[in-house]
Amino acid sequence: MSIDTIVFFILAATSIISAILVITRRSPIISVVYLVFNFIILAIIYLTLHAQFIAVIQVIVYAGAIMVLFLFVVMLLNLGKEEMLTEKITYKKRIAIGLAVVMSVQIIIGITTSFGEHPNQLSPLATQIGTVEHIGKVLFTQYLLPFEIASILLLAAIIGAVVLAKKRIG
Amino acid sequence: MLQQILDSVKIFQPEITLVIVLCAAILIDLIVKNKPQFIASIVMAGLFVAGYFVIQQSGVAVSIFSNMFVVDSFSVFFKVIILLTAIFVVMFSMQSKELNNGKRKLGEYYAFVISMTLGMLLMTGASNLLMMYLSIELTSLSSYILAGYKKETPDSSEASLKYIIYGAVSSGMLLYGISILYGLTGSLNIYDVNQVIQQGGVSLLALIAANLLMIVGFGFKISAVPFHFWTPDVYEGAPITITAFLSVASKAAGFALMIRYFFVGYYDPLASAINGYFTTIGGFDWHIIIAILSVATMTIGNFTAVWQNNLKRLLAYSSIAHAGYMMMGVVVLNNEGISAIMIYFATYLFMNLGAFYIVMLIADKIGSEDIDSYKGLGYKAPFMAVVFAIFLISLTGLPPTAGFIGKLYLFAALINSGWIWLAIVGVLNSVVSLYYYVRIFRNMFLRDIDIEHEPIKFSPSHFIVALLLVIPTLVLGLYFGPLVDFAQASVGILGIK
Amino acid sequence: MIPLNYYLALSAILFSIGVVGVLARRNAIIVFMSIELMLNSVNLTLVAFSAYLGNATGQMFVFFVLTVAAAEAAVGLAIIIALFRNKMTVNIDEINIMKW
Repeated sequence: MSIDTIVFFILAATSIISAILVITRRSPIISVVYLVFNFIILAIIYLTLHAQFIAVIQVIVYAGAIMVLFLFVVMLLNLGKEEMLTEKITYKKRIAIGLAVVMSVQIIIGITTSFGEHPNQLSPLATQIGTVEHIGKVLFTQYLLPFEIASILLLAAIIGAVVLAKKRIG
Repeated sequence: MLQQILDSVKIFQPEITLVIVLCAAILIDLIVKNKPQFIASIVMAGLFVAGYFVIQQSGVAVSIFSNMFVVDSFSVFFKVIILLTAIFVVMFSMQSKELNNGKRKLGEYYAFVISMTLGMLLMTGASNLLMMYLSIELTSLSSYILAGYKKETPDSSEASLKYIIYGAVSSGMLLYGISILYGLTGSLNIYDVNQVIQQGGVSLLALIAANLLMIVGFGFKISAVPFHFWTPDVYEGAPITITAFLSVASKAAGFALMIRYFFVGYYDPLASAINGYFTTIGGFDWHIIIAILSVATMTIGNFTAVWQNNLKRLLAYSSIAHAGYMMMGVVVLNNEGISAIMIYFATYLFMNLGAFYIVMLIADKIGSEDIDSYKGLGYKAPFMAVVFAIFLISLTGLPPTAGFIGKLYLFAALINSGWIWLAIVGVLNSVVSLYYYVRIFRNMFLRDIDIEHEPIKFSPSHFIVALLLVIPTLVLGLYFGPLVDFAQASVGILGIK
Repeated sequence: MIPLNYYLALSAILFSIGVVGVLARRNAIIVFMSIELMLNSVNLTLVAFSAYLGNATGQMFVFFVLTVAAAEAAVGLAIIIALFRNKMTVNIDEINIMKW
């Protein structure tokens, strides 16, 4: 086994374990911490795929901004009390989880068999396309319209978040 | 590249107008405090200007912004529907007591109505999976906020939370589907996707998996069964003006997007030329899936509506059922089916908005949306009751109203292409729907006849809006030639013969 | 070299964990975190395809997914705060006063 593969398996195992911990921890704060950890692992995986720009914004936007927002809300709502967090596992939920597991196993098998004939080598272009230079060039020419739409989406989200979270109704 | 962008901007006027109005609404709200009616009139003017630009575009068929966005007669038709709905929704909002309670700030409300309209206009023309995703998200995000706008009431916040959780999960599924499709074809442009699939060699299993995941995303937007669970709660909890908006415009945009994706993505020009009608690329028989979804949607929608006592919930289930009828038009897979959906939308716009408008007016006056509180309404407010009755008759699909024409063309399209069993299911469903519409009718006119009735007063502006909705409902039922011609002339999707 | 399939399998597993989290957890904040997990696994698929196909489109898509995820998280958390003011809970089961 080459060093690449070993590194990949270590990263994959850590990311899966941290993801499982996110959804099984009782306290939201601990979940947030594991989620941040998961995102950082993913950023490292992106680096192994030569996607530097994505790896950096993954850390800045996700681990930095979004997760801090989550932590902030958890603190604001003060959900430390245990009794508020008790969850019941009903039979309906069991069926739902069972279905989800069956579906995901199907997806995994389906996808891994379908892409068997795909290139199993990183494309030689891979080192060039992930750079800030290249992404910037494409973003402001070919992807100009989506970029502008994303800015309107962010504007709407900013105002919406303020409107909804503000205390007074007027 | 620069020249191409400049050329694209020239064809992008309706959307640019809306962006300007969006920013203007936010800024004016900061400068002029507490003048919601003023902002509403600016927004209305902006919508009319955008509508003017859209109508100017009829007959154009181009792909702009590096094939991100398409302007063709198909998208123009749906844009007209969406802008008309938005204009009516702004009118409703100006009169709604629920919103204009003196304390609430409405500048942002109108800004979100515009951003949602913008998202829907982009949905009608998106020809790239990335644009489809972004426009769906812009629409959804604005509607999550609007659904929770009455945030002092628990119902509204709950509706909003339920909506965003369902919405985010289904958009996650949609994204996963898109990512698989991208892996298969190496492109996000639906025309390129089509080319690659035509060349063959694409794994059918992965293609079906991708499309099933994407149907979850689309099904959520048009609230098709089994992705409809959010609909009744959101429709009940949201401000009623937004409910009306979601039930018409958001559905229209969802249908436009879905039709464009399936028709362009799986169009086989060679086989279509041989068969003389639209043919999908071999082996991918997705119209059976849509047929099953359509039957499930209308049946569950209609049968659940029978048990409802809250009118908003009843209309929510009825709108699910209507989505089911319209999906029958997608099953047919030809221009006749698409034009039938368009005709249906044009008629559905007036009758459904009308029904919601009357429910809003009555709720403002008597403070209840319960069917039982409509007892004797025919004597308290005879004009509004008769108008409501006309909308309900139209929603059932009986002549001489617009709803009949919509259903007629839909069933004709089905029968002409051999889907007789589906047409029969549709007709049986209309019979079921008659039952619950008649319940309202009976409460209004046949209950509490003997007791003294305090008449409910309405202002002239209420009568004007009601007339603006009821006249088209009746006129389109009798004089439908121009609408049918317009719809049949508008079926041209860019790239499809 | 690591085959493409490994990345796809990893992202499918992460996606499934996210779906299970959404279905099983009742705390709205954790439900949102599970949704973020789902979106991230999609990003992994896109980046992997992008690198193996030698095509920048996938990475562009990731850029936009990140934007939308940030916007959605902000609005979702604002809704949770608004709801918490009304009902003093973030448990999805408790807020189902509306019937199905």
